[in-house]
Amino acid sequence: MQRKTRVIQKILKKVAGFVIAMVCLSIIVFYFSRLAPGDPLQSFYGDAVESMSTQELLAAKERLGLDDPIHIQYAKWISNTFHGDFGMSLKYKIPAMEVVSPLIGNTLILGGISYLVVFFLAIFLAICCALNEDSLFDRIICKVGTAAYYIPTFWLGVVLVLVFSINLNWLPSSGAYDFGKSGDVLNRLQHLVLPLAVMVLSHLWYYAYMFRNKLLDEFRRDYILLAKTKGLAKVEIIFKHCLRNIAPTIISIMAISTTHIVSGTYIAEAVFNYPGIGALSVESAKYHDYNLLLLLVLITGALVIISSMIAQSINEVIDPRMKELEAVTWRKRTKTSS
Amino acid sequence: MINKAILQLKNLSISFDTPNGEVEAVRNVNLSLQKGEILAIVGESGCGKTVLSQSVLKLLPKTSNIKNGQIFVEGEDITHYKEKKMRNLRGSVLSMVFQDPMTTLNPTIPIGKQITESILKHKRVSREEAKERAIEMLELVGIDDPIYRFNLQPHFFSGGMRQRCVLAIALASDPKILFADEPTTSLDVTVQAKILDLLLDIRDKTGISIVFISHDLGVVARIADKVAVMYAGKVVEMGTAEEVFYDPCHPYTWGLLGALPSSTIEGENLKSIQGMPPVMLDPPPGDAFAVRNEYALKIDYAEMPPMFQITQTHFAATWLLDERAPIVKPPISLKRR
Repeated sequence: MQRKTRVIQKILKKVAGFVIAMVCLSIIVFYFSRLAPGDPLQSFYGDAVESMSTQELLAAKERLGLDDPIHIQYAKWISNTFHGDFGMSLKYKIPAMEVVSPLIGNTLILGGISYLVVFFLAIFLAICCALNEDSLFDRIICKVGTAAYYIPTFWLGVVLVLVFSINLNWLPSSGAYDFGKSGDVLNRLQHLVLPLAVMVLSHLWYYAYMFRNKLLDEFRRDYILLAKTKGLAKVEIIFKHCLRNIAPTIISIMAISTTHIVSGTYIAEAVFNYPGIGALSVESAKYHDYNLLLLLVLITGALVIISSMIAQSINEVIDPRMKELEAVTWRKRTKTSS
Repeated sequence: MINKAILQLKNLSISFDTPNGEVEAVRNVNLSLQKGEILAIVGESGCGKTVLSQSVLKLLPKTSNIKNGQIFVEGEDITHYKEKKMRNLRGSVLSMVFQDPMTTLNPTIPIGKQITESILKHKRVSREEAKERAIEMLELVGIDDPIYRFNLQPHFFSGGMRQRCVLAIALASDPKILFADEPTTSLDVTVQAKILDLLLDIRDKTGISIVFISHDLGVVARIADKVAVMYAGKVVEMGTAEEVFYDPCHPYTWGLLGALPSSTIEGENLKSIQGMPPVMLDPPPGDAFAVRNEYALKIDYAEMPPMFQITQTHFAATWLLDERAPIVKPPISLKRR
């Protein structure tokens, strides 16, 4: 019974934390996006703004709700948000949600797959390198990885298109699927290969190298010596001891890297003309499309916050000391307040 | 006699490759350990005690190499054993307890699992049997309520209890030789005494041989059968505990014993040995202790003293024992005890 209430309490606490974080995020983005120089009317009316009279401009501003003081604008926006209305996109002149919804799936597919591939490969490479530390294999992988990491993404994308699409004609060079084939899995996969390769190559080594060094750091700890005196082999020590102990680090890094899924796809989307929200985010900032920008930021923010909450819960299971730590600080806090 | 020795080091020299050149950490060490015996290795920090013990288990980093000499375990020459063969010996024949129990246990794995890991590695037993054995081991090292504590992570344990757990892990697969590398140094004095009693108790129960490494002569006096005093990588005096404590022959041993608080006369300052141990990058040609030795002879600076035999079991490497040397009496404070 008590355990159940504790769990419910914990969930409520997390939900409250989530809502507070989202509101804070929206306030900051709302305010800062309006600080940027430029004219939102320009993106709504295009060049017609130039020939408008002052009165017409004022009327237009009033119509779009841009003449109110900023806190009233925000109050209006947030009350609409709770009804599921995220406002009109100034650039596309349709509700922001309708702009985002057809594209978000494409981005989630590209970003999600690349995210999984990057971390799977990074951990795999890190283990291989750590097991063969300072061997020829390790050194070659380190050098190649570093070199590959510093190849500019946009250039790599163009080269890949040149080789695989134009010279070899194996893979399509742009888009998410051929016209009218949005449900065809094979067709989608074909379109995914090149953007995915670019995404993976540009992120992989950063994480692989970090995890490799983390593993090796862990391998120099005192408890490894005890594990060795038990007669365990290096493979067993890496898998049973080191990997488990750096898992919280890996999971935390994975959690804060979830931004890559939605916004890290920008360059790949731009180079391969892949319809997704990565390019859309940049556009929305460029054209002062406040409502669209806010919606996209909130999606990214929600993703990050939720994934770090999940990561925290997983880490508490792996390393109970973290839970203990939380309990101790909580007790201290209640003690000082009473 | 030699054949019975469970561990024997013959002329062992170990060096490290460093960017500044080769460092000889252990030089021409001869030691032997009988079954059920406790051999203490004493000396200052950096004299090679730990390197010596870790070299037997081959736990030293890759930059180290055995330059010279042989290591015999149960009569078998393991000097050139490869990693794979060593893994079979570690845990089941050779085992080790380390200095700092706060860091030698894996913080995320329950104690019980850390013990069964060793058992499952070396014995053909089921998980349940291994668990039973682990609980037995926890009981043996004096952990109360082992069934409950089996599932706890190390951070629930105090320092002394953790050292007991480390001991349980080290003993789990019935090793023949236990290396205890300053196992009580980071514990407070009462806990220290309990752990020492526990080690003696375990020796009596299981007949294990123990190599006990320490810089604390008080602790050594309590536990050791045989004592080897090391200085600058060399064994300078070796004998039974009585011989080394009551009839020390090497000036360095005099210095160590003289530095004990108990051998200081009331009202006087604590004694210490002047100077620092030599840098082993370029060891002096003669006796490494000569520069700090108030009884040093001319020959000490020129030539390494051989091991002089004093009794059947007592050896010391100092020119003072040579026939031609002047007769030097050890400091009075030592004799008074």
